[in-house]
Amino acid sequence: MTVHSDVAHNNKNYLNHETTLWSWLSTVDHKRIGLMYLFTITGFFIVGGLAALTMRMELASSGADFLSPEQYNVLFTLHGAIMIFLFIVPGIPATMGNFLLPLMIGAKDVAFPRLNLLSFYIYVVGAFMALYALLNPIDTGWTFYAPYSMQTQSAVILMTGAAFVLGFSSILTGLNFVVTVHRLRCPGMTWDRLPVFVWGLYATAVIQTLATPVIGMTLLLLIVERWLGVGIFNPAMGGDPVLFEHLFWFYSHPVVYIMVLPAFGVVGEIIPVFSRKPLFGYKMVCYASVAIALVGFLVWAHHMLVAGISDTSAIYFSVITFGVAIPTAIKVFNWVSTMYKGSISFDTPMLYAMGFVFLFMIAGTTGIYLATLAVDVFYHDTYFVVAHFHYTIQGGAVIGLIAALHFWFPKMTGKMYNEPLAKIAFVLVFVGFNLTFLPQFVLGMEGMPRRYFDYLPEFEGLHRLSSYGAVVNGFGYTFALLNLLGAWIFSKKQAPANPYNSLSLEWNTQSPPIHENFEETPSVTDYPYAYGTPVEGGGH
Amino acid sequence: MTSVAQTIPGEPPHPHHWTPTNAYHGAKLGMWLFLATEILLFSVLFTAFALYRWAYLGEFHDASLNLDWKLGALNTAVLILSSFTAALAVDAAQRGNNKRVKHLLLFTVMCGGIFLVVKYFEYSHKYHIGLFPGVECPVVEAGALHGSEGHGGGADVAEGGHHLEYCWPKDTSGLSEGQREMLVSSKYKMYFGLYYCMTGLHALHVIIGMLLLSWVCFHASRNRFSEKYYTPVELGALYWHLVDLIWIYLFPLLYLVD
Amino acid sequence: MFRYLPEQGSKIAPRVDWLHHWITDLSVLFTVAVCGAMLYFAVRYRKRDGKDHETPRIEGNNFLEVIWTVVPTLICIWVAYYGIVIFQDMREGEGEALVVNATASQWKWEFQYENGKSTVGELVVPVNRPVKVVITAKDVLHSFFVPAMRVKKDAIPGRYTSVVFTPVKTGSYNTFCTEYCGTSHSGMLAELRVVSEAEYGRWVNDRSADLAKLTMDPATLGSKLYEEKGCNACHSLNGSRLVGPSFLKLYESEERKFADDSAMSFGGEFSIEDYIRESILYPNKKVVAGYPAGLMPAFEGQLSDGEIKALIAFIRKQDGSAAQSEEATGDSGEDLQAKLAKMSPVERGEYHYQTKACIGCHSLDGSNLVGPTFKGLYGKNREFVDGTSGAADAEYIKSSILNPNGNIVAGYQPNLMPQNYRDQLSDEDLEAIVEFIRSKQN
Repeated sequence: MTVHSDVAHNNKNYLNHETTLWSWLSTVDHKRIGLMYLFTITGFFIVGGLAALTMRMELASSGADFLSPEQYNVLFTLHGAIMIFLFIVPGIPATMGNFLLPLMIGAKDVAFPRLNLLSFYIYVVGAFMALYALLNPIDTGWTFYAPYSMQTQSAVILMTGAAFVLGFSSILTGLNFVVTVHRLRCPGMTWDRLPVFVWGLYATAVIQTLATPVIGMTLLLLIVERWLGVGIFNPAMGGDPVLFEHLFWFYSHPVVYIMVLPAFGVVGEIIPVFSRKPLFGYKMVCYASVAIALVGFLVWAHHMLVAGISDTSAIYFSVITFGVAIPTAIKVFNWVSTMYKGSISFDTPMLYAMGFVFLFMIAGTTGIYLATLAVDVFYHDTYFVVAHFHYTIQGGAVIGLIAALHFWFPKMTGKMYNEPLAKIAFVLVFVGFNLTFLPQFVLGMEGMPRRYFDYLPEFEGLHRLSSYGAVVNGFGYTFALLNLLGAWIFSKKQAPANPYNSLSLEWNTQSPPIHENFEETPSVTDYPYAYGTPVEGGGH
Repeated sequence: MTSVAQTIPGEPPHPHHWTPTNAYHGAKLGMWLFLATEILLFSVLFTAFALYRWAYLGEFHDASLNLDWKLGALNTAVLILSSFTAALAVDAAQRGNNKRVKHLLLFTVMCGGIFLVVKYFEYSHKYHIGLFPGVECPVVEAGALHGSEGHGGGADVAEGGHHLEYCWPKDTSGLSEGQREMLVSSKYKMYFGLYYCMTGLHALHVIIGMLLLSWVCFHASRNRFSEKYYTPVELGALYWHLVDLIWIYLFPLLYLVD
Repeated sequence: MFRYLPEQGSKIAPRVDWLHHWITDLSVLFTVAVCGAMLYFAVRYRKRDGKDHETPRIEGNNFLEVIWTVVPTLICIWVAYYGIVIFQDMREGEGEALVVNATASQWKWEFQYENGKSTVGELVVPVNRPVKVVITAKDVLHSFFVPAMRVKKDAIPGRYTSVVFTPVKTGSYNTFCTEYCGTSHSGMLAELRVVSEAEYGRWVNDRSADLAKLTMDPATLGSKLYEEKGCNACHSLNGSRLVGPSFLKLYESEERKFADDSAMSFGGEFSIEDYIRESILYPNKKVVAGYPAGLMPAFEGQLSDGEIKALIAFIRKQDGSAAQSEEATGDSGEDLQAKLAKMSPVERGEYHYQTKACIGCHSLDGSNLVGPTFKGLYGKNREFVDGTSGAADAEYIKSSILNPNGNIVAGYQPNLMPQNYRDQLSDEDLEAIVEFIRSKQN
């Protein structure tokens, strides 16, 4: 497949196609919808991040500083709920996925463009409900465990209602993407020629569609329970709080794969481009994505190994959890092998991708501790878990999102960002993140439990270190985002269609793309990683 | 689907990024995926119900005696018939017989209406005997409960036939320890909580299905469909079949199983 | 790195740590190998002179894929296996274990022994004998976690779970609640004390406290609670205004005015008993006009109905008749001096800690209440609100008692600690209190 790096550029593109406010609000263009999601979720990232910084300021020293226990409990609930439901679950799929999926498969739009817009507005409604719950605060933790969530005076119904509404948005987007990949691939785009980012989005979409209804119904049951006192989760009436945990985690484990599978896809796109080499083991990487999606449905109770489940169940869930670790490891090995004998550039997206490899090695290996039954007994509900999931979600999914934002920035905006400033931001983010969360592994080792407003004085040193890291981390993200925003608004340099000489289809159109994506429907004859000089026995 | 005014009767709509055949297959795939999500939605309730039924077999059996299996059976027959007419409507659409489509779909919707009316009677009867969410209990006087030791559907009923073990009298001071124990242990609230969730959610889907099919029917009255284009009829009927299928699981589970 | 793990207090701890170390070694090995390779490739194959060099179109290698699938799988199987084996071995000795019941509630741990003895926040067990803690909860989910023993299990209302462990070292170990349970989740601490078999025997058979509680009349029990729960820190019995209103003649009130300008008269639908009870359980619902809100701890979940009745009876007795004095119970005058002289300094300090209301604001378990905790206080460096700092030595402690507003620790409020201790404590009393605080080192 040849890529036309001399794609004709005309001044009409999807951004100036129509410029009224109404044209944006009523758009069914997947690119515009992706942008609208991007701005909205970034706003919520900032809100959730401020909640985190406030918590870390309080936790910097032992004893009550400026928060009351109630306020702290509300903050960690909001931080979790906003970051998860409003930011990282829509995350890469709703933003970059919406923008790129049709472009990468050579289509003009997603399968159901109006449904896409509806998804966005459902998200907005859910987001407003969640914001309103901010004013009537909630303090159950984002996991809403019964019986506490049934007894507390706070706004449980509002927040769970918001999550229920947001779930619809997720389901409809997932459904849309699955049908898009099945039905709208351009001529020649067989399944084994899809970019890995598309494979990642596809696997994610399957999970979104199938898992989200379960949490929707579970939260609805919680609302009914609180409102009508039915008794299904209330031990005083013969109900079982552990049933709530099972139903909750049946979705909430697959949801972490919704968060991270697209990020894996992003890394799989970036490394080959900046190594000028094919993605090593492309087929294995694709199978691994699907395997993670499927096995991810089977492991949910590893969040409940000490919750009073039977020993047999605990053993099963521990063993099967190792089963989901293997495909992830395979992916990492393949990414690194891609760099062998490559021609490596260190543009910002590549720095984020390499950072991702380091951060995810830590994330994955610390997951092994938690999968191991005897060790999980010690680590469950301690700071070790907090550090582990921040490495997977933030070090994984968020870094993936930022990498994607930098990599596809020229395509989305038609401009180039300031490279040296972006690199500085990367260093701040990377250092800040590790400084925040590496000490938390040690805190967990020392036995410090999580969701603690106050703690014994011996834990103070590490907490203080973690709080310094949080400031650096926050500053780094701010710097990175301002750099991108500034470039979009102020930069005068027109980006070429394919600044990085990538072989995938989205680069085979101008930057930014025209409203219809392509001048003519493209067709492909090879997969998008055919970099380098052919060797004997090549071909995938 | 684009508005009626912009399309030619009998011709499929033409969104700029689909071919008609592809659009048909895409729409069907989308609908099947959506149906899968509906099944998963209901499966949570089925799971909860199955677990608690297994744990409280006796109590759930007693509570279920309050349901009238004859009305349930009537509803089942009505829905199965309506599914049949929906399937016939698809067939008619494939032949371009819009008039027949309209009649069959009207009949299907009417069956849905009958289902809802029967459900209304069931619910209102339960409302009157106090087996309804939010219903307030009368004040109980000592000795006002009949047959507090025995069980069997509706045995613990106050004056006027109120099911106290569901609504929980505000003032329990008049009750003996045993009667209070019975209120907690009868599990009426749990059974009926699940009952209303399941049948209520299902009834909501019946209403949605009726609205959907009415809308398709409206298009049929405008001669929209032909052998070239019958997608909405097929998708609407698929949705209706799901609604029917869920009821076919609900009915034995709630009304029949001993 | 491994010194960060808590001490190995139980028989199973060394084995858990062994597996932990193996996972660490393997994780470090893999991370270094992968990231090392990545960095090596990045440097070795970097673009030079701003131009790409030729690269081979290597698309994969089946042999490598097999190796790096099979080897991690085998390692995972090995780790999982030992994880399971050690997990199952945690139950070793369950059959002949000493059984203690633990009940979690918001926000305390209650332990009950087979002979009926019960304690709050303190679990005492003999060394070298398997212990089975049978756990349940009263209200919401909690979780019982003793890091040094490497055990943890959720406490579920309406169900029983259990942990089994064999302590191998005497000592005092932290016990945490580790399932979020509401406002004071982080304050729900307990102490596991492992003692010799002989001392355990003596301790568990000492039922004097329980018996005394059972046979006491309500007002006497109420006066004990008045001290034990620290009410005496803020509510006087002689009419003087402290942090909170005095209990003198409170029971006879016909009307109270509250901070939000509402008022309430008693004797109709809402009785004085209702009011006292509500104020104990939910202090911020009705704050008396002129008093600060948000300072009184809420005792919801911490006092039984019987205990609340006892407090009400005690408050009712504060009617100004001659029999009442500042210290409701305890001895006075010469009896007291004789009793104090017989005590060791630490015991004497503890006596004053309990009867002079220190207990109401200064905890012994590390949690920070109205005032700083005494745990680990002695010798610690303190930062004060005026920016200066100093060590909490004997001089500091004594001056804090005699002149509380002199050096307020940063983060705490002035004017709350009683100012009149110089009238109540002799030099020997002060020395004793210092010794008592010093004994709360770890």
